[in-house]
Amino acid sequence: MVNGYKPTTLKEALSIRAGEKVIPYAGGTDLMVQNPKEAVYLFLNDIEELREIKEDDKYIRIGAAVTFTEALSSDLVPALMKEAVSRIAAPAIRNAGTFGGNIGNGSDKADSVLVEFAMGASVRLLSEKGERILPVREFCISRRVTAIRDDELIAEILLPKDKCSYSYYYQKVGGRNALAISRVAFAGAYDVRDGVIRDFSAAVLGSGGVFQRYKEIEDLIIGKTVDEFKANRDAYLSAYGEKLTFARGRVSAEYRKTVVLNLIRDYLESVG
Amino acid sequence: MNGIRFRLNGKDVCYEGSATDRLLDVLRDTYDMKSVKCGCKEGECGACAVLIDSVLYNSCCVAVGAVEAHEILTVEGFKETEQFKALSKAFAELSAVQCGFCIPGMVLASQALLMKNPHPTKEQVQEGLSGNLCRCTGYNAIVNAVLNASKEGDGLW
Repeated sequence: MVNGYKPTTLKEALSIRAGEKVIPYAGGTDLMVQNPKEAVYLFLNDIEELREIKEDDKYIRIGAAVTFTEALSSDLVPALMKEAVSRIAAPAIRNAGTFGGNIGNGSDKADSVLVEFAMGASVRLLSEKGERILPVREFCISRRVTAIRDDELIAEILLPKDKCSYSYYYQKVGGRNALAISRVAFAGAYDVRDGVIRDFSAAVLGSGGVFQRYKEIEDLIIGKTVDEFKANRDAYLSAYGEKLTFARGRVSAEYRKTVVLNLIRDYLESVG
Repeated sequence: MNGIRFRLNGKDVCYEGSATDRLLDVLRDTYDMKSVKCGCKEGECGACAVLIDSVLYNSCCVAVGAVEAHEILTVEGFKETEQFKALSKAFAELSAVQCGFCIPGMVLASQALLMKNPHPTKEQVQEGLSGNLCRCTGYNAIVNAVLNASKEGDGLW
């Protein structure tokens, strides 16, 4: 075909990716908004190996070309991820949009990527030379910039299985219910056992450029008893208030910060 | 160079242009499928919705290369079916159409919903049509039309 390749196996796709200047195309929902005239697409939507959701001992593995609609009907995908992707756009976009595309485009408004940050997920990249597994926080460098190399394709998103059963909190704030790009969104996951907070995360979308997650604040919380945590809740909220940064954007930074801190307060009150 | 082969409303076709061309433009300009409307070209309005292998997509956000070996249905093909007739009757009876621009997309979104769920609730219809914007009727008449089609066309889906 002219200006495109449509392999049916991953091996063939990696060979084309290594040898040609191509743009990987999964669902098209972001790419086609611009559809640059000089583009040559490497269509990945019919490669079965990229369309599977599997599990092994450590991970739930979501193929890069799995659509949001497919994830919503899978028993393997955790509830926090389902909650986030169920609120993406509308059915026709969820039927096309994929996990690989959402993170591969480097959008700082990618709803599935926020959950990947909150869950400490990784990205599995493949090239003809082999594989690399990168934490999502290292893969996403800044807006529109990722750590992918010119000969690599995103193969899978790896969600740590032990975190899939955590309690969670998710909120998206957009201009309306459907077809809304997140102004801000917040995802948190935590594990409380025997009155102790064993694990805790809080991730923010909408700061303008990067997803934010602060390990140093989470470390203050992990290991605390629920009673200790509750006694210090205001201090944790203040710590987030000091750390979180918001760049100027279409919606004012002050508004976004206020909303995010409200969501974090709500989240902290829900823990324990 | 080989063309891009796909099925369009039951007929095999071969597109000789660029794989990066928007399916929306290819359907309208090359194959004269004028039911497919161009509203926003960024997946925000649903006016260009088509069914690919019975699944709803916005054709503005699909490059034609992606549909090679797949089957596309537009209203031009769908209108010969009993399901279309049930939807058409319900939309007409409830005056769910004013300017009509959004309706081909609405009808195919309704078909996609009813194929998955022949007896949807009002909320499920609203969710099923949530990607299709209408700027004239308000949505109540359209939602009620889909509910009526589901009831009166019982057994068709």
